[in-house]
Amino acid sequence: MDMESFSNMQLDAMREVGNIGAGNAATALSVMLSRAVDMDVPKAELVSIYELAEYYGDPLAPVSAVFVRSEGEFTCSLIFFQDEEDAQSLVDLLISHQMSGMVLEDIPPEMRDSALTEVGNIILSSFLNAINVLMGGTHSISVPGVAHDMMGSILQVIASIFGQTGEYALIVDTTLKVGDIEKNVSGKVVMLPDPGSLEILFRKLQVL
Amino acid sequence: MEKAHHVGMAELVVVSSPEMLMTLGLGSCIGLVLYDQTAKIAGMVHIMLPDSRGAGAKAAEKPGKFADTAVPALINAVCSKGALRSRLKAKLAGGSQMFALPGAETDFLAVGSRNAKETIDLLKKMGIPLVNSDVGGNKGRTVEFSTVTWMLTVKVLGKGKTEI
Repeated sequence: MDMESFSNMQLDAMREVGNIGAGNAATALSVMLSRAVDMDVPKAELVSIYELAEYYGDPLAPVSAVFVRSEGEFTCSLIFFQDEEDAQSLVDLLISHQMSGMVLEDIPPEMRDSALTEVGNIILSSFLNAINVLMGGTHSISVPGVAHDMMGSILQVIASIFGQTGEYALIVDTTLKVGDIEKNVSGKVVMLPDPGSLEILFRKLQVL
Repeated sequence: MEKAHHVGMAELVVVSSPEMLMTLGLGSCIGLVLYDQTAKIAGMVHIMLPDSRGAGAKAAEKPGKFADTAVPALINAVCSKGALRSRLKAKLAGGSQMFALPGAETDFLAVGSRNAKETIDLLKKMGIPLVNSDVGGNKGRTVEFSTVTWMLTVKVLGKGKTEI
């Protein structure tokens, strides 16, 4: 698959995949928190790997990121990432909702991290489940990995995956935003189909 | 403070003293510096991947992308600016693994350690002494190289800075 020339129809199809996946992910987050979750219109863009580190803004910004791999017929990487501050607010929301009675200050950092990993895992699994229904077939999802680091360092993971075979990455992303609260708590769900599995996806979606 | 030249992914930059070199948020990538203190020349390359096998003709367009093409390209670049090959010394940082996914097929996530190994092996093969390095682990690094003190400053989020 030539990673530098997608038709508009193929990019539209990827946006639709993003829409279906993110819709399911937003629902899952909403159920976990018992709050409204808004979702932006998904984007599907081809980005030069050399510009990836700055694609979402300041490469030095501290972010928290959960990463999983989908394995099976259609392989891809999925990342849920947030500004570190938003991630901590999300953990607060989750703990106060799911474990009412706990004093937030008493929760040890390891437990906060574990909660964050699990939220990310549920969001990304929900995204992938919707894609599986769309694609048919079975796909498994890896154990989640979590990192708290500079955005540029995290985006390098993506650059090195796509760099093996080319100069561009296909990025499908959406912002999820927790509603009904004063504080802004949002996160980005990013899907990165492996270059080798795009043909399978496009064939199924009948845009090849 | 001297102007710092930012070295983006797969880029290669050569400066002369007292200019600085820097690269932001190294994850699995490597920031390799070669310098000649007598000629007062230093160059940095931001290596993304261990080897160019399979990249074909494209590797020649971006020699900084792969360790096997980046090391010779950086040697040529600093020497063409007046550094002497026999006086070259090396320092490097990076090559971490940002995510660990137990049980998954994730060779590509370990690209950082392969980047570091390949670069260090090449320096040895080319006879360039590696003065110091800070590689591996699971944290991102921001690095700055001074052509006044010839030190590489490595900053890690939440852990402060070290000089190597």
